This record gives sequence, structure tokens and C-alpha cells, in this order.
Amino acid sequence: MPIGPFGLDPVIWAPLRLVIAVGLALFLILNGALLQIYLERKIQAIIQDRLGPYHVGPFGLLQTFADALKLIAKEDVRPSATDAWFFVAAPALVFCPMLASWLVLPFAYDITGADLNIGLLYLTTLGSMTVLGIVIAGWASNNKYALVGGLRSAGQLISYEIPQILALVTVALVVGSLSMRTITASQPGPLVNVLVLPFSFLVYFIAALAETNRTPFDLPEAESELVAGWLTEYSGMRWGTMLALSEYGNVTVVCSIIVTLWFGGWQGPGVDALPLLGVVWFTLKVYAFILAFMWIRATLPRLRIDQLMSFCWKGLIPVSLLNILVVATLALAFPSSRVPIAIANWLLVVAFVAGIPFVQRRRLAALRARARATAQPVRAAS
Amino acid sequence: MTFDFVEPIVFAMLSVGVIAAGAAVVLINRITAAALLMAFTFLCMAGMFVLLGAETIAAFQVLIYVGAITVLILYGVMFTKSGDRPYALFFQHQTPIAAIFVAAIAIPVLLLAFSFNAPAPPPRGGDLPGLATSVFTDFAFPFEIASVLLLAAMVGAIVLTKRDEAEGADTRRRERR
Repeated sequence: MPIGPFGLDPVIWAPLRLVIAVGLALFLILNGALLQIYLERKIQAIIQDRLGPYHVGPFGLLQTFADALKLIAKEDVRPSATDAWFFVAAPALVFCPMLASWLVLPFAYDITGADLNIGLLYLTTLGSMTVLGIVIAGWASNNKYALVGGLRSAGQLISYEIPQILALVTVALVVGSLSMRTITASQPGPLVNVLVLPFSFLVYFIAALAETNRTPFDLPEAESELVAGWLTEYSGMRWGTMLALSEYGNVTVVCSIIVTLWFGGWQGPGVDALPLLGVVWFTLKVYAFILAFMWIRATLPRLRIDQLMSFCWKGLIPVSLLNILVVATLALAFPSSRVPIAIANWLLVVAFVAGIPFVQRRRLAALRARARATAQPVRAAS
Repeated sequence: MTFDFVEPIVFAMLSVGVIAAGAAVVLINRITAAALLMAFTFLCMAGMFVLLGAETIAAFQVLIYVGAITVLILYGVMFTKSGDRPYALFFQHQTPIAAIFVAAIAIPVLLLAFSFNAPAPPPRGGDLPGLATSVFTDFAFPFEIASVLLLAAMVGAIVLTKRDEAEGADTRRRERR
């Protein structure tokens, strides 16, 4: 009889492993949401010179626990005009893809649900499934704000998926694999991928902000225009599942992708001697990016929906297509060295960042010219 | 004891899902529910691809059909006025013709299904390298043709919508004069 890990029969071990993995992922998502909501409040408070939560527990640490208990204990309200089945199904449709994408996240050398050789494609696929749940939620709520929020979300997520995938493709081109473990292993030591592909990282980071509905791209739930967007009619734990768990879970997944692809994943000093240290490094790196997301949220104002769309279609997609062209050509021309790709990519970053003021100035000039052309003389009106 | 018994069970569950959801898509009256059930059918099909060892195809199936096409159909449904007219089956007078078509497709499929010998499952390691190699070597030309076709369709769609807008602007300008 073959013996699996811990001296268990493989037939017993496989289902047990499944249960442990799903339980662990749920545990991490729930606690991650609690911690991230607390951090979000506290960090925004610090940046905006406020106090943030401080009544419940030391430093307000127990505030989110109290909030979670409140959400669970709330009455299960379903507005009478909503679409019964879809209204209940939508939170699950948003939550399940997010939960499933934790399967391939490499927390440490051997601590990963499954090392799929299409890991990156799998993550992209699950990210694209979230849209369906959001659109269904907007539709089932039978509320114009929810519907507009859902439609906005569909347009935004489908648009920003394109630069996101194009950025991932460049990494796959350079590394030559879609497996998360191989990608991590391809960047040992301090020579991480972000030094080779900084422009792909920039594009992915911006697209990831939009993909997870974070400010400055949180148009689907813009409270100044749409009440709460597609979340308007939800309350209690359904709201909690959709907003708190799914949104923060998605942020964690996206930050894990960034860390794995561009920042060496779980690798760090001392990992070879003590493999479990990888979990610590991975978590630290992921939370560094989550904090960057929060910093951006506390700093930047929200875009308008047409600015959001034109930024994606006229800005991000052309430059990421150019990026993929450059990287593919150089990868073919210099198969043994990454230096040309790195130089070209850094040049692209410089051009992109330096180009923004020029584009902006031309746009402003055009706007002013149009305003001058269409302006009515003040005296003629009276 | 091994895990050989799992695969038929999963296959049976997926088949029931595909057939039941597919039938429901056709029979159900609520069009949004039909769209969602179609997504479910696609998901079950993706599961079957995974069972066959074609994970890449499964991932693209979900990415394109569930993530994009279904959302597009839901968009269409939401922007289409419905509900104020009684539902009528468009094809109710064509039952004999439909029966002939169904028979023409179903009988060969059934015959094939019972005389079909499954090829050996592909070696472990997934279908990604094989798929990529064949797309970019043997099938590079059809691949490029398909992409040019899609590009042409996209440009055509943009031109169609743009032209209406420009004409509308022209008429508006003329009215203002």
C-alpha cells in the first residue's frame, strides 16, 4: 500500500488535504478582510489627519470584529421587488471565483494548493468571472443605481482585463512559463522581474486597481453619483460577502500576483535555511502592496467614467501592445540575455511617465479652445 | 484503492449539468435565467475539458464564454425592452422541420458515440506546450487569418457606430443654423 504524507493512505489524505486547503483559504480570507478593513480605516485616518477607530479594544483593533458580528447578526433583508434567485446567487457568484483563485497562490516553496502549469491563465480566468456576479447583482436589485453600477462595472472590468492580460503575457514571454512556482523560481536573489519588466508592472498595477474596484477607479460604487452602485440594495452578510470579503480577497489575490510575478514571491533572505520563512516574506510583500493600494485610495480623487474608459482604450492598451511587441522582439533577438529587454522596458517607463504632461497639456489646450469657440458672449444674452 | 472511481462520477455530474442546463436554456421563459444557465453550461463544458486533460482550452472557455460572452448577452438583455408582450415561441410552427434537423444531427452523433474508442489520455504536464507549438507553427496561417477577420469585424463595428454619431452631429449643426 502506498504511503502518503504523515503516514496516511493517499485515498484518505487527498480529501483531507482538500478540506484543509479550503478551510485555510477561508480562514485567511476572513481574517485578511478583518485586518485589511481595520488597516484601511486606520491608514486613511493617519493620512487624512484623523484618529480612525479607537474605542473598541486597544487602538481600535477590535472594531472590525464588532462590525463583522453586527453584519452576521443583522436581519436578512431582501427588498420585495428584487429578483429572488439572482439576488441570493450574486454574492456567491462574486465570492466563489475569488475563493477558487487562492488555489494557485504560492505562499512558500511547498505551501500552495496546486501548482497548475496554467496558473497565470487560471487566475486571469477567475478574475474575469467576477464580472458576471456583479452584473447579476446590479440586475437583480431592480434599482436604477444598482443597474448603472453593474453595467459600469462590466464595462470597466472587461476593458481593464485587456491591459492586465497583455502585461501578464510579457512576463510569460520572458520567464517562459505560466506556472506560479516556475515564475517564482525564475527570479532568485535580488534580481527580481520588476527590474526587467518595470513597464509591465506599472501597467498591471494600474489595471489591477481598476480590476479590484479601488480608488481612483471605483466608479461602480461611486457613492457621490450612485448611492453605493451595485451594492445599493444589499445589506447584512450578503453585503459583507460581496464588499468586505470579495473585494479585500480580490485585492489580496491581485497583490499576490504582483508579488509572485515581479517581486520574487516567497523568496527572501534565509528562506533556504528555513523554508517556512517564505510565508513571512510573501505576506510582508503582499501587505506592502495592499498598503500601497490604501495609500492611493486615501490620496487620489475618483475619475469620471469617460476618463476611465478613454484612459484604458487610448492610453493603457496601446502602450501595453507596444510593450508586448518590444518584449517579444527582444526576447527573440536576444534569447540568452534579459538586459536588452530591461533597458527597453525602463525606456518605456520613462517615456510613459514623461509623456503624461505633454498629453495632458494638449488635452487641456483642446478643451480650452472648444470652450472658447462655443462660449456665448455675455452681453448678447441680456 | 485508487482514484479511478472519481473520474466517471465527475463526468456524470458534468454531463447532467450540461444537458439539464442546456435544456433549461431552451425551455425556460426568463431570458436572464437562460443567460445564466448558459454560463453554467459553459462551466460544465470547461470541466469536461479539464477531465480530458485540456486545461488550457478549459481556461479559455471560461475566460471568453463565461467572462465575456455571457456578460455581453446580459448587457443585450438589459438594454432590450421586454415583458410588455406575451412570450410566443418563434419556432412553434416549424416542429416537423426541427425534428428532421435534430434527427439528422443526433443519429450520427449517437452512432459515433457507441463506436468511439477514446484515444490514450495525453501525458501529464498539460496541453499548453502542444497547443502553443501547433498554433504558432502548423496553424499559424489560419490563426492569423482569424485574427485579421476579428480585427475587420471590430473596425467595421466602430465605423458603423461612428458614422451614426457624425451624421447626428451634422443634422444637429444644420438645425442650429
